[in-house]
Amino acid sequence: MSEKLTDSIIKALVRFFRAEWSGAFIAIFILAIAIEFSTSGRPFFHPTNLMTILNNSAAIGIVAGGMTLVIITSGIDLSVGSVMGMTAALTGYVCSFWGFPPWMAILTGLSIGLLVGAFQGVLVAYFGMPAFIATLAGLSIWRGTGHLSTGAQATPKLPIDFDTFGRFNPFLNIRNEFKAGNLEGFWATFGNFVDSNWLNFFRTFQMSMLIFILFFLILSIIIANTRYGRYIYAIGSNALGARQSGINTSLYTMMTYMLCSLSAAFGALLFLGRAPYAKSDYGQMWELDAIAAVVIGGTSLFGGRGSLWGTFMGVILLKLINNGLTLAQLDTFWQMVVTGLIILLAVGIDLVRQSKNSKNVRKLLVAVSSFMAFLTMMTPASLYLKAKISLLEHNASKNLQIAGEKLANGQTARLLGPKEIDDLQQIILSNTSISFLCLILFILSLLPIFSLNKLLAIFTSICFILLIIPIVNIGYAVTIPFLIFGVIVLIMSLFVDLIFERARKLDSFIS
Amino acid sequence: MRNLLSKFVVLTFFAITSNAAIQAQDVIGYITKSATNAGWMMINQGAEDAAAEEGVKLVSVGPAFQGDLSSQLEVFENLVAQGAKAIGIAPVDSAGVAPAVTDAMSSGIPIIAIDTGVSGADVTSFVATDNYAVAKVQGAISATLVNDGDTVIYVTGNQAQSTGQERRNGFMEAFSAARPGSKILEVPTEWNSQQAQEGVEAVLNSNSDVKMVVNAWDGGTMGAKAALENLGYSAGDVKLVGFDGASDAIAAMDEGWVHADTAQMLYQMGYQGIKAAAAAARGETVSSRIDTGFFLVTPSTSGVYKKMVGIN
Repeated sequence: MSEKLTDSIIKALVRFFRAEWSGAFIAIFILAIAIEFSTSGRPFFHPTNLMTILNNSAAIGIVAGGMTLVIITSGIDLSVGSVMGMTAALTGYVCSFWGFPPWMAILTGLSIGLLVGAFQGVLVAYFGMPAFIATLAGLSIWRGTGHLSTGAQATPKLPIDFDTFGRFNPFLNIRNEFKAGNLEGFWATFGNFVDSNWLNFFRTFQMSMLIFILFFLILSIIIANTRYGRYIYAIGSNALGARQSGINTSLYTMMTYMLCSLSAAFGALLFLGRAPYAKSDYGQMWELDAIAAVVIGGTSLFGGRGSLWGTFMGVILLKLINNGLTLAQLDTFWQMVVTGLIILLAVGIDLVRQSKNSKNVRKLLVAVSSFMAFLTMMTPASLYLKAKISLLEHNASKNLQIAGEKLANGQTARLLGPKEIDDLQQIILSNTSISFLCLILFILSLLPIFSLNKLLAIFTSICFILLIIPIVNIGYAVTIPFLIFGVIVLIMSLFVDLIFERARKLDSFIS
Repeated sequence: MRNLLSKFVVLTFFAITSNAAIQAQDVIGYITKSATNAGWMMINQGAEDAAAEEGVKLVSVGPAFQGDLSSQLEVFENLVAQGAKAIGIAPVDSAGVAPAVTDAMSSGIPIIAIDTGVSGADVTSFVATDNYAVAKVQGAISATLVNDGDTVIYVTGNQAQSTGQERRNGFMEAFSAARPGSKILEVPTEWNSQQAQEGVEAVLNSNSDVKMVVNAWDGGTMGAKAALENLGYSAGDVKLVGFDGASDAIAAMDEGWVHADTAQMLYQMGYQGIKAAAAAARGETVSSRIDTGFFLVTPSTSGVYKKMVGIN
């Protein structure tokens, strides 16, 4: 019985890690827990917060969805941000200044997207221009065209019809009717339910999010079930072979660029549904965000491999970083560093996943545990280093002063008073020994990456646990979660080989 | 063939003579930070009007995108090579342009810094609002709009730039001094209104007791307003305070969203900057610091302000 249970767990694990989106998913999960611990107030996992993230992911998400298709064909589209900006500006422009009714303005915007895609698609598919160059030119052309045609001026606030694609809330009407007392029977009960849970749930239930999810559902069904879907994977993994087997590769490549630009135009529409006005400088740098989301989602830049749901996770991860780090009130410059680290983590997991090698998985787990040791070490060591650096800077400025040089503003600011020097020396003294202990643990935790000896891993785990005593003694109890998580991961690494062996056996039974 | 040749000669002749006519006018270079931002368009307008008044030829160029230092440096060197008599520059990076500015100054070309200062190099004149002083006024007026202990949001500008740092520091000091019990939640941005919108939305969602959103620039004000609208707030539920006095923020003030806005005299900044550049080009001495002042726009003074800067 218990064997069956472990087997089904292993099967579930295998299935999970076969999915391209698993790397991004784990990164989301870890980040979300970290943010949960570091924010006060309403919990991070609260549905309204999750829905806010989805709402704000919608526009860039749809742009990234189109980008995924292009990257699967082993192409790239650098123009999506500019196309999004231009169509957003023009849609708003014809609606505000040419008297177009909203539906006609929207059709205009989408058609422009389609035309731009056709133009770039022809260049790439029929004239053999490298996609990177053709769309890099597009990046500049469409941004310039957007600025020129609208004078780079913002439109007035757009008609309320545009809210349908963004901030419109399907429950708002029911709530208003209920508050006005126009409802009866079941609807009255339902209205009451909506009204009393308004702030906790329904307020952020908006169209952006619904359209975002629906878009990915439909597109992924198309990709999985149509000839078009199979062909773009074929083109991406081997264009020559695809052509020789009778696929009209040029046609399908062009269609993909058209779909991508159309998605950019559709993304513009979703953006307008939440933005204060239409303007031609929207969507700057979105091409990079979209590409990042696609790659984080496990899609290969060389084409032929990837999934839409990976991109979905990738977009959410990027937005989650912004949202969560803002809620955690982390310093701006730290946010930049942390963003990069999380992207590395997601892509690292994906690399190991693809290698399908138990040794690599073990190494990754050990690396995670030594990262935990590093975090533990930095808790006292950052204080120690900061104090050391302040003293060093003080001495350097002092020496300049003694040498009779004129000090610049920044240099005078680094001079310290005698009391401050005393305080710093106190900090250095009290953190030296514990930093040193932690450093030893960190170095020790790196060893199992190079040697797969099980005893070494067990010994390191014991050292992790033993370190808890001195570190709590000195008052850094906050680091306990790091140490415990490190031990858990390290112990997990011992079972990787077993799990792989069993999974292979199960796999051969299944197939 | 001969006909063509004679045409060419005539054309060249015209080109030379008309070029001479231009050279009689002093060429003043003007490097802006943005050609598409609503606030910058007002500054640029002031610069053009001043050039027309002074009878100088204004060659104005902007970066490819906001914050692009390398293209600004390139343009700067081109202007020096073309023999501009003076250059007005709004640096995208205070320290980044310093070496180029030093070079130009030492070869005798007066440099006027507009809006953002140059750190690490002397300039002929620095024409700008005193961001720190105005931000303190913004902080003080914001404090009167809430009670002590109320939670407020501050949307920052780019903290790698002096303008962003001074505005944040000025606001924080003045506001915290007047409302020591209030919690200030920060939404970091790089002068990008989308970041402002998403950040404000996120913070409002997890803190329902926010009473006011203060912004480091009016792009942020408009982003914050969109965030409030997205969450179904009406005008006045959460107070907005702006910085810049951009026309869309003043319109939002008339609708009841914005309660105060410390307006920089944007037009004056461009106007006085190019006036100073023209004077320096003629060899006159100009003051090394020209403060273009500010105007505190509130619902009661917005009429005066609109008349002054020409918003209908």
